[in-house]
Amino acid sequence: MLAPLSWLKEYVDVKLSPKNLGERLTEIGLSTEKIIKDGDDIIFEFEITPNRPDLLSILGIAREIAAVENTKIKFPKLSSDLKPQKKLPLKIEANVSINPRFTGIIIDGITVRESPAWLKEKLIKIGQRPINNIVDITNYVMFELGNPIHAFDYKKIKGSLMKVHQAKGGEKFTSVDEITYRLPKGAVIISDSEKIIDLCGIKGELNSGTFENTKTIFIRVPVEVPVLIRKTATSLSLRSEASSIFEKGVNKGGTVDALKRCVELVLKEAGGQIASDLFDIKKEVFSPWKLNLKLERLNKILGISITEGEVLNLLQRLNLTPLKKAKDAVEVTIPTYRNDLKIEEDIIEEVARLYGYNKFPKTIPHGQIPIVQVPYLKDYEMEKKVKNVLIASGFSEIYTYSLISETDLLENGINPNKSLRVDNPVSREFEYLRPSLVPSLKKALLQNKPCFEKINLFELGKVYVGSNINESEEFYSLCAVSNNKNFYEVKGIIERMFEDYGINEEWAKYIQIFDEGVFFELNFSDILSKMNLSKKYKPIPKYPPIIEDLTIEVFEKITVGDIIGEIKKQSPLISQISLLDVFGSSKTFHIVYQDRQKNLTNQEVSKIREKILHALKKKFKAGLKE
Amino acid sequence: MEEELIQIKNSAVSLILDAKDKKELDDLKIRFLGRSGRLSLAIKELSKLPKEKRPEIGRLANEVKNTIEETISEKESRVTKQMSQELKEKIDTTIPGIRPLIGHLHPMTYVIYDVVDVFKGLGYQVADGPEIETDYYNFTALNMPPNAPSRDTQATLYLDTRNSKVKPGEILLRTQTSNMQVRIMEKTKPPVRVIVPGKTYRVDDVNASHSFEFWQVEGFMVDTSVSLKDLFGTLDYVLRKIMGENIKLKFATTNFPFVEPGVDTYIECTVCKGKGCTFCKMTGWSEIMPAGMIHPNVLKAAGYDPRKVSGFAFAIGLSRLVTLRYEMEDLRLLTNPDIRILEQF
Repeated sequence: MLAPLSWLKEYVDVKLSPKNLGERLTEIGLSTEKIIKDGDDIIFEFEITPNRPDLLSILGIAREIAAVENTKIKFPKLSSDLKPQKKLPLKIEANVSINPRFTGIIIDGITVRESPAWLKEKLIKIGQRPINNIVDITNYVMFELGNPIHAFDYKKIKGSLMKVHQAKGGEKFTSVDEITYRLPKGAVIISDSEKIIDLCGIKGELNSGTFENTKTIFIRVPVEVPVLIRKTATSLSLRSEASSIFEKGVNKGGTVDALKRCVELVLKEAGGQIASDLFDIKKEVFSPWKLNLKLERLNKILGISITEGEVLNLLQRLNLTPLKKAKDAVEVTIPTYRNDLKIEEDIIEEVARLYGYNKFPKTIPHGQIPIVQVPYLKDYEMEKKVKNVLIASGFSEIYTYSLISETDLLENGINPNKSLRVDNPVSREFEYLRPSLVPSLKKALLQNKPCFEKINLFELGKVYVGSNINESEEFYSLCAVSNNKNFYEVKGIIERMFEDYGINEEWAKYIQIFDEGVFFELNFSDILSKMNLSKKYKPIPKYPPIIEDLTIEVFEKITVGDIIGEIKKQSPLISQISLLDVFGSSKTFHIVYQDRQKNLTNQEVSKIREKILHALKKKFKAGLKE
Repeated sequence: MEEELIQIKNSAVSLILDAKDKKELDDLKIRFLGRSGRLSLAIKELSKLPKEKRPEIGRLANEVKNTIEETISEKESRVTKQMSQELKEKIDTTIPGIRPLIGHLHPMTYVIYDVVDVFKGLGYQVADGPEIETDYYNFTALNMPPNAPSRDTQATLYLDTRNSKVKPGEILLRTQTSNMQVRIMEKTKPPVRVIVPGKTYRVDDVNASHSFEFWQVEGFMVDTSVSLKDLFGTLDYVLRKIMGENIKLKFATTNFPFVEPGVDTYIECTVCKGKGCTFCKMTGWSEIMPAGMIHPNVLKAAGYDPRKVSGFAFAIGLSRLVTLRYEMEDLRLLTNPDIRILEQF
């Protein structure tokens, strides 16, 4: 929302410098994005939060400034009566359930021409394109007061009938800017006796717009139902300044004032005379509503003690007409333009924001520290353990997008039809939820190849699996790649990691060897559920071990794992076995014999050795190398 | 006797000072201080002295022993240093060291760990939850019913519902880690203090300061008397702990449907130090931590009584926090796996 300082000054005295004013307005909720110098003028650019459609008007912003400056706004003077000079026929079939208020009037004998300089200048300053005096006046009053207004060419309303109803769906509609749409079911529209003439709250029809030869106009200032406007605007992807106000909630009490202001300007700038009574068909009176504020609750929520006098003063400056009801209670009256004020907490915010957030003391909460374990607990210490091992092994951590492309899936042999997909991706590149981290790590590896010889990368992140949304599951995956470590080095890293978690499992199945390097990918969530962190100290042996290396000749294709397993079975006194060396068909095993109760003798060890050799011969036809 | 001791001392000291290397020193140590060294032998003679002389001579013998020991130890350290120096002179010490191959953690991880540590100190627990989320927990439970205009500020990525019983638009990628507020609260009772770090998604352009995927940490506490003042204190403490105690902060009113009053927290831009740059949209400030007092409707959705308990909630843009802390001018650097970026951390 753009707001020129010169225009604001028509309604409020501004004493603060533009910079200070911007800062104060930001503090009270009117976020000042930019302050732009424009000749002699200053233009503010504000970001308006969706709860404050009243700030989509210059007068609304002036009200906030008045609160900050502790002054009153000067509302434009409006003529008290709208006396018709003559009466042209018009029948309005309103429907208050889909159009809660329909305010309007006919003006006859106008001259459509270029707008006067002052009007054009104002619109240009707020980024609007001047069209003609009538359209510009309706726009001007909308930006001034916040109630959207539409002017129809009265003579194009066939049968002098305006009927508010909802579209069946599929009807053709051409907007004043000459774009044709098919209306969605439920769109609120106005028809005359022959055709659709308005898409309520969003855009007027081309067939009834105001152009050069228009002599008579009907000015309509409505209140629309936010949800209905929003649904239609969303469905057509058609948004206007008007629809943006209506879908957030227009000032229901402001239609007559806006109409009066508009009529006054039309008569002044385009001539003509009032040619009908004032139409004002409404669901209810739309008067201001009341809310109660308990000072005790205010001070409890804010954590400070603001005196009653100050609370009353702050509320008064916000035009909320505070009235002291009881010792601790204040009644406020909410003007109809403040649809966002519905509950006591809303009023508490009003007091706090004008009091000034940056004036609050800062405290750390008292109270009990929760002891009960929170649902959905996450323990980062567990993550640190595994990341430490990987870092120590030379791997660097990456974070990649969870959304990947169909090509990424296909290149890794994953069926896109069995992967979770986003309906409205930001681009084809980010269309699928990754079911594996391998595609991203592969890409990362290739990206680094030109600059680095040794590449070791890992990611610990979520993957998302399931062939449809009912079966979807997300879990943490740990994936790493190395282009310079061999299978056994990678396997050793995994073994070391899982020693920390107290899990004993064969991890080789998680390792994949691709052209690019050695990968492993594990379901980390699963690991966390299996882990056993209870560690107990085992005393170190008091007696020395006996260590020997046995070189075994294996002629058949027997795995080292099987041989180690067989050796270990032969005696509980064998405390460790490892593979020391492989040369052709001979494999050297390093064996540690340990008795925790006493000193082992050579005789005892030689008995075990005999047993081992016997077993290996029997089972694998393997024997000591000659 | 006295003379002999002094003589031992003098000869020992002069020999020690003349020693060329460690071995010579070791020999001298044995020669004088060893079990059958000169000093030990002399001390054995003490018992032959008349009683009244013994204490005096004894003291002297001790003094001599200390002097010899000190001199040896001083000389030893000098000889060792000299040896090391000589060895170093034989090699080129300016050749770069051979570094162990140790990897690097991602800057996001460092920031998450710091954030978790700071909040743990305030008694918060850490939770984690689904990114594939229902419309209810992401929006409706947070006082953002269907068709609420406030939903426009969080353009949403919806999941494809083909081959399932789910209606289109019901399942989405969470737009905020706030999805965990009601999920957690409905399963536990106050007091609650929890943070939820995680990934979030929105339909957005990809540029220096925007992305469709970004990291947030949600936090909230609920107790019998939690106030806006406590929220300001918590935000101030936490940001100073994470970003440094000298940062500049300011608070502003804003609107999020799930809080009332609503707060926005701005930090002076660390990239331009408040002068204005593309990173902070030329304002000199960076919006970093939206927050507020939990809206009564949200407390009710969680089954809490807003008359009995109150709470506050906040979110930190983690991606932004990382880029601010390390003065990285572009958000996309965080998802770029270039080792030249990673190895800086």
